[in-house]
Amino acid sequence: MKKMILAVALLLPASMAHAQAPADFNGIWGLAPLPPAVKPGQSVRWLLPLKGVDPNGTDVFKGLDRWQVDGRAAAPNKPEYKPELLAKVKELSDKQGVLDPAFYCKPQGVPRMGAPTQIVQTPGQVVFLYGANNLFRVIPTDGRPHRADADPSYMGDAIGRVEGDTLVVDVTNFNDDTWLGSDGYFHSEKMHVIERLTRKGDAITYQATVEDPDVLAKPWVQPARQLRLSTSKADALLEAPPCVEHDAPHIVTLDHH
Amino acid sequence: MKRTLFGLALAGLLAGSPVSAHHSFAAEFDINKPVTLQGTVTKVEWVNPHVYVFVDVKDPSGKVTPWSLSSLGPAAARRAGVTRANFGQGQTVTINGYHAKDGSNFAFMRKMTFADGHSVELWLGDDEARK
Repeated sequence: MKKMILAVALLLPASMAHAQAPADFNGIWGLAPLPPAVKPGQSVRWLLPLKGVDPNGTDVFKGLDRWQVDGRAAAPNKPEYKPELLAKVKELSDKQGVLDPAFYCKPQGVPRMGAPTQIVQTPGQVVFLYGANNLFRVIPTDGRPHRADADPSYMGDAIGRVEGDTLVVDVTNFNDDTWLGSDGYFHSEKMHVIERLTRKGDAITYQATVEDPDVLAKPWVQPARQLRLSTSKADALLEAPPCVEHDAPHIVTLDHH
Repeated sequence: MKRTLFGLALAGLLAGSPVSAHHSFAAEFDINKPVTLQGTVTKVEWVNPHVYVFVDVKDPSGKVTPWSLSSLGPAAARRAGVTRANFGQGQTVTINGYHAKDGSNFAFMRKMTFADGHSVELWLGDDEARK
């Protein structure tokens, strides 16, 4: 009997074998465990280590800004824009403090919002949950095409398919009210994003590729992120605080951050 | 004073974090204008992208002036073990911070010290770089 099953399995084309045992993407992914809460009445210092910055000196805010700018500058690759649009990117970047849509509670959108923190997979669809900002995406995987009746949106219209150990999500129909990153990386409504989530053991590699022939000189491949599966029963997505912005009226300079 | 807990280091939780985007503090607050405020915490707004604390500051003549203070984000706070309950709603506190550049009654909160001497402090920097 065993021999017969093996023989049948060997005769199946690879694609059918995958279809019979699709990779499992269910789970909470990439959630860092939290330390115990500090008891009220107990002193606490929360540390933000800024290398070379005197904590009592006058470089603290500049150090905080520089840390973030340097971190992005060290990123392995960045979107490449058409030469005639480089001046626009620089101008948006210089005025980032007032122009970045995500600073004032608008959604960061796909792909800037990053990888989901929980995936719920059912026959015919996967649901991406984003615990940091109470967002969700419902992604059909039943072979249907993109919708033709939806308005352009921040997270776009997604359809997915499982190819072996990889979930491929194809996203179109974006509005142009998001950036790809903090440095003025705008895009058009023609942006097309392909997200790939590859499961190996207890980890998923998440990587998004952005095509936008109107503004980008070539497709931008976002640096890949590794997400570990949460195995603690205590882990759960909790309601995130809402976004309520009181700082905007007090921004008086264009310091880049 | 009760033992001071050192919260977890927050490296990487702001930079490039998809959790919440927020602007430069240097664009908003003057590091050369430290302020010390004494008053009663009337409200703690535990929201993204920054936590806000509202304080009624009473001067020696008894006149009350409302101030608001901005801090880092709630997720960054929680990752250091700091929750809304540590922010002194209804209590009389002393706050050290930096005044907004626009001169309004708004500041960045660095430290909140309670009547019994315990405190919640945000420590930005590198102890080895202390002058």
